[in-house]
Amino acid sequence: MAFRVVVFISLCVSIGVGWIIESGAADVFLEATRQDFQKIPLGIAGIENLGGSESPEARVKLGTRIEDVLKADVRRSLVFALVDLPSLGMKVSHLGAEPDPSFKQAAENGVSVIVWGQAGMKSGNKDADLSMDGYVYDAGSNEVVGGKRYVGSASVARLMAHRFADELVFRYTGEPGIARTKIAYVSELGTARELFVMDYDGYDPRQLTADGFLNLMPRWSPDRRFLVFTTYRNRNTQDIDMIELATGKRWTLVAQGGLNITPVFSPDGNSLAYSSSHEGNAELYRLDMKTKAVQRLTTHAAGDLSPSWAPSGRELVFTSDRSGGPQIFLMSADGSNVRRLTFEGDYNAAPVWSPRGNLIAYVCRTPKKEYKLCVITPDGQKRLQLTTGLGVDDSPSWSPDGRHLVFSSTVEGKSQIYMIDADGKDLERITFTGTHNSAPSWSPAS
Amino acid sequence: MKKIPVSYLPLILGVIVLGMPACSKKAVRSGGDMQALQDETVKGGGSKDGTGSSFPDTSFSGRNESNNLRGLDRNPSEERLGGHAGNTGSPGGVGHANAMVAKADSGAGARQLAEIRAEQVASVAAGLRDVFFAYDSFSVTDEGRHALAGDAEWARSNPNAQLKIEGHCDERGTSAYNLVLGEKRAKAVRNYLVELGVAPTYLSVVSYGKERPFCTEHTESCYSQNRRGHLVVKTGK
Repeated sequence: MAFRVVVFISLCVSIGVGWIIESGAADVFLEATRQDFQKIPLGIAGIENLGGSESPEARVKLGTRIEDVLKADVRRSLVFALVDLPSLGMKVSHLGAEPDPSFKQAAENGVSVIVWGQAGMKSGNKDADLSMDGYVYDAGSNEVVGGKRYVGSASVARLMAHRFADELVFRYTGEPGIARTKIAYVSELGTARELFVMDYDGYDPRQLTADGFLNLMPRWSPDRRFLVFTTYRNRNTQDIDMIELATGKRWTLVAQGGLNITPVFSPDGNSLAYSSSHEGNAELYRLDMKTKAVQRLTTHAAGDLSPSWAPSGRELVFTSDRSGGPQIFLMSADGSNVRRLTFEGDYNAAPVWSPRGNLIAYVCRTPKKEYKLCVITPDGQKRLQLTTGLGVDDSPSWSPDGRHLVFSSTVEGKSQIYMIDADGKDLERITFTGTHNSAPSWSPAS
Repeated sequence: MKKIPVSYLPLILGVIVLGMPACSKKAVRSGGDMQALQDETVKGGGSKDGTGSSFPDTSFSGRNESNNLRGLDRNPSEERLGGHAGNTGSPGGVGHANAMVAKADSGAGARQLAEIRAEQVASVAAGLRDVFFAYDSFSVTDEGRHALAGDAEWARSNPNAQLKIEGHCDERGTSAYNLVLGEKRAKAVRNYLVELGVAPTYLSVVSYGKERPFCTEHTESCYSQNRRGHLVVKTGK
């Protein structure tokens, strides 16, 4: 039964997305962004705490912590609907590796997947190994279809939950999941703005640069090894730099004078599109990463910036103020066939093409002069405003599964980073400290 | 233009916005000195001649599912997760890539601050005045022209001084577009100073967009402080 559900969903997704890319059919739009489409009902029966630590609180905290992370990951996957098992009358404890008799009853109540596990520390030492066992019961076959066993230091407790969540998504959709993805962003330290990377849920922030001035607008390489960004050499000149995350090593990719902003890798990683004003005003260029050849893509007296590639690599969406205020335009990757996409409102900017290809998210200025998030289909037929309220929303970036956006907003005063579903549901703040966090960029999945 | 009631402002802004393409064209045409800007820093990878070393391979042939996830297993083998001591070992995985460490270059911030302070001191001593802009606009106002007349006089009487014009924006609008708008503001200031007889070779422009605000409140009085062309005497490089 569960198998049939899976097949049905994957058919929906693949046919739906394929259809939108090809035809942009208007009525499919709602279908693809409706998040309550046939989610798989999944219950978490608990991550039990095993012995091994002398401190009962520490053990309770560990199991509870892993379970909380797993629940949040499952909820954000948008693949599963998290079922509250106790409300179905299920009370299980001391679960081993075998399914509990009560699972059958839960299955009869419509639960498709039940997950449980155990976690423990091997000693009371803070740096000692943790272990976590996770099991998956599938109602369709009425058996345990598999499990995982993770070990590692105390610092990877959250990662254990993230990996398990991604295994679940992978098992039921064939997609890698987003629970192990990262978000690169800019954070203020004094008057400087430096690059940071954190987990997709806002945990474990790490500082990447310490230049003491401005580093702006990071974007990931498709293989997740590098970030490209704008940096100010001697405070007076903008360069585009690349940094390797594993080593901190840096390369200057573009240093031409003038503005050099909004760099972004093509989906195949072989080209970098960016905006530069070194020939007068902001134009779009394409740098071949292998030959270092630079090709100019736009020629216009107005400013062209913020390129974003279609997942096919064949088209670019970008911002241009060639018709007055900034608007969203499309063109082929060689710079031909330029056409305007947005006509509603007098300020539309910062477009990003969904990895699924079906939507372009951007910042739209409302009639009340608030800067909010909008999405539009690449054929311009359907447009939706995702956020409302006060403040400036900026720098949208898609999750690799195309189901979420991360962005910065001043809706609560200081600029912080938020996550939202592609249909505007489940707004969630993910940074809570600091005076300014902005320019989030969601990593590809691995 | 001086005594137009406030209620006409949106109309004026509209006219300015409509005028943008024309203004930009002018900027391009009057930009003979932009060539100087362009040539001044060509270096590193972007240039065709390059600097010998090539960039690391960033090509990506598609997602490799086996990179990381190993699938559920009826008899799971133990998977050891890398902690902060290294990444998970897979080529595509960041894991908990920990080496992402800021080079502990604690000197960089202090040096930048010292240089910024030196510039501030020199600029205040010179009595340079800034230019303020209307929302969404990069047109130099009458008041701005008045301020620049004084700045130009100082520049002419200090012919060896290098002036830097910083373009700034308020927090409204996107980060990226405000960098473009900030550059338009800085260039509008630069172009007017050139009209007043200041040699273009002594002027440089840089846009900070909304990234270095003078004021961080969410109020119009603060926004108007941040929409500026800020003139600075360059003391360092």
